[in-house]
Amino acid sequence: MTYLAVCAQQSSEHKVLSFAAKAADVLRFATIDRIGRDAQGELNGFQRPQVAAHIREIRDYLEKPDAVLPNPIVVAFTERVSVEELETGVVRLSIDMSAGAPGLVVDGQQRLSALADLDRDFQVFVSALICRDEAELRRQFVLINNTKPLPKSLIYELLPTVGDLPPRLSRRSTASDLTARLNFENTALRGYIKQHTCPEGIIADTVMQKIIMESLSNGVMRELIRGPKGVERCVRLVSNFFEAVKKTWPEAWHGQKPNSSRLLHGAGIQAMGDVMEVLAERAGARSVEDFRDGLASLKDKTAWTSGEWHLEGEVRRWNSLQNVNRDVALLKHYLVGLVKADLRRKAKLAPAPLLESTPAPS
Amino acid sequence: MKFIFADSLDYVDPAFDFIADRSPAERQPYWDDAYPHEILGYAPYDGVLVSRGIVGDHRVKGKYTASQARRFRLVGARKFLRLDKPEFAHLEIFGDCGAFTYVQDERPPYTPAEMAEFYDECGFTHGASVDHIIFDFDAGLVGMAGGSAEARQRFDITLENAEGFLREARAMDADFTPLGVVQGWSPDSMADAARRLVAMGYDYLALGGMVPLKSPEIKLCLEAIRHAVPASTRLHILGFAKADDIDSFHGYDISSFDTTSPLIRAFKDAKQNYYLPGDGLALRYFTSIRVPQAIENPKLQRAVKKGMFRAEDLVRLEALALGALRAFDRDEAELEETLHHVLVYSAPLFEEKPHEDCKDSPTLARLAQRYRATLTERPWKQCSCKICRDAAIDVIIFRGSNRNKRRGIHNLAVYQDHIERLDLKRAVEPSDDLPRRLCAAEQ
Repeated sequence: MTYLAVCAQQSSEHKVLSFAAKAADVLRFATIDRIGRDAQGELNGFQRPQVAAHIREIRDYLEKPDAVLPNPIVVAFTERVSVEELETGVVRLSIDMSAGAPGLVVDGQQRLSALADLDRDFQVFVSALICRDEAELRRQFVLINNTKPLPKSLIYELLPTVGDLPPRLSRRSTASDLTARLNFENTALRGYIKQHTCPEGIIADTVMQKIIMESLSNGVMRELIRGPKGVERCVRLVSNFFEAVKKTWPEAWHGQKPNSSRLLHGAGIQAMGDVMEVLAERAGARSVEDFRDGLASLKDKTAWTSGEWHLEGEVRRWNSLQNVNRDVALLKHYLVGLVKADLRRKAKLAPAPLLESTPAPS
Repeated sequence: MKFIFADSLDYVDPAFDFIADRSPAERQPYWDDAYPHEILGYAPYDGVLVSRGIVGDHRVKGKYTASQARRFRLVGARKFLRLDKPEFAHLEIFGDCGAFTYVQDERPPYTPAEMAEFYDECGFTHGASVDHIIFDFDAGLVGMAGGSAEARQRFDITLENAEGFLREARAMDADFTPLGVVQGWSPDSMADAARRLVAMGYDYLALGGMVPLKSPEIKLCLEAIRHAVPASTRLHILGFAKADDIDSFHGYDISSFDTTSPLIRAFKDAKQNYYLPGDGLALRYFTSIRVPQAIENPKLQRAVKKGMFRAEDLVRLEALALGALRAFDRDEAELEETLHHVLVYSAPLFEEKPHEDCKDSPTLARLAQRYRATLTERPWKQCSCKICRDAAIDVIIFRGSNRNKRRGIHNLAVYQDHIERLDLKRAVEPSDDLPRRLCAAEQ
């Protein structure tokens, strides 16, 4: 097989060149060399196994007619290729296929796997690296695949401005949009959320997104966001709730940081997210006053900034609660339990309705 | 006799694409999925049982995600299970603690008060008291003899909790019917527990710890309990794993039992995976045909990681097997040829060897025999349920939750018919010949 390629001057030891090829052809001249050990225990190959979900996501994207794949598949050769210079920077690459595929895929195996199942004539860029030996090839694999991923908060902040995302990201995108609105519009949380573009914020954006995503998938915002002015109503709901939180515990909020008040800490915010759900779902709370009524029962039973939490059978110092699943779940259970008990008490105290009770507004 | 289905989020995606082998990219778990009563268009059971341990909380990790568990507790069982439609209003919703999830603990993690509150808050129609499983069942013990110290302690805990539970349920004027759970280490100790539960005021008892027991042992327990309690006391069997044997239990006047067996047998049994009604009152079983996902199956992936097989080769063999089965269903492939493709792909899975190296192994021979029976009979063409009509041969392929649970749901429907036929049969026979039935059952 031959290809016309452009050659880049990079190293005297290796040749680096680039050309376009169909995915099926790449799989003819190069193989995916998966890591494993032979009968003697010698390590061979280097690629990880295919990741089905990842491949599926790439395929979903590539099936779209406007899909592009500008980053190249990297293929390395150590033998059975020859390069003939045609003019400066332009070469003809000849691949000897007589003894099978001589190339090895160094980067892009999941993309290739996705393309292999795709019924579409799609060309990809191939960056070919011709190196001395197998050891050099592995070195390239490690270097290429050991890049540092972008910070999550940067990606998340960009999401709402990007259309047509895979569903996994589009749900995150909605939560990210709501978080940014809470942070930059006129809300109780304005300036409070730490984002890539708001580094002085106090509450972690990922924590805020977490409670919003939970509400969007299984909670009160699921219905809310589908209605008219859904986004505004969701922003208002969260804002009203945290306005009530601020008014209920002003000393644990104003001037505090996560390490001085558990209310602004990942554990406290997540637990309060559940409290918001209960009040919104069970008591139909929407306004600041509704939420303040609901939070009143918790006022004296918290230890945000000092003292101890009395969590069923466990006494915890105020600052020993960490943002780990177990602690968050414990705190949620404790606060939600108190709120529900309070709601039950109020329901019992309420005079019997003369007519059939109306369902809570949603 | 009511057949209560023990649910643990057993839903399937109605939009699942069998050819592309995937759900739509935008599928949201639970929300876009269908419970058995949704995909079949009717409920293949008389009620559903939800265990607190399956829902989970901050102490016991359940099968629900934390946010699903929260939703369950906010909107209640009926709405969560999407049984809040008029056509499902008659279905009962049983609750229990899920004692198997805390079997290792010294005491149950739940108090009677919080369980009563849980049932009430979540709108259960029936709630079981807080029990603790007793091991070391010995059918030969008489009276209150035997029983390890631990067994006796668990016996006391279960009864104490039952007393507290009934008190709490009454105090809160609960809407659910309380069930007192019987635990014991012998038929007589269970009968004693049952007698005491009736004395507390229970008129509906639930037998716990039945899962590891064999049918004749369960019958001895039922017999002892029936002698100890009034005829008006209703009995429920919790976690009835011997559901296929239910016809031999008719004489014991069981009001209800819960099981998940027809569903899980679809993918947790070596051979009896697909049910069809058989001759008379029997069921017929077929082995489903295993074609696992080459790049998702953990066992195959392990082999690929070790370098025993190439992923690309497995993918090719997988496609050949699936293609052959579909062609066979369309009468475009011969049985033996289809079977061959399936077995070639089965070799890496069952023997971790290429087919060439193990084609005469006993495992593959057994498999071939069962698969041949399934392919010859084409049972999926003999069923008219919605699942079998829509999924065709895919319902018999053992592969991924969408096929496996569909097959399980089909089994539920067959099983419900089975129960109904038994009940009808009982209705035309005299119901007072218990001794004859007991003898017949033991044969």
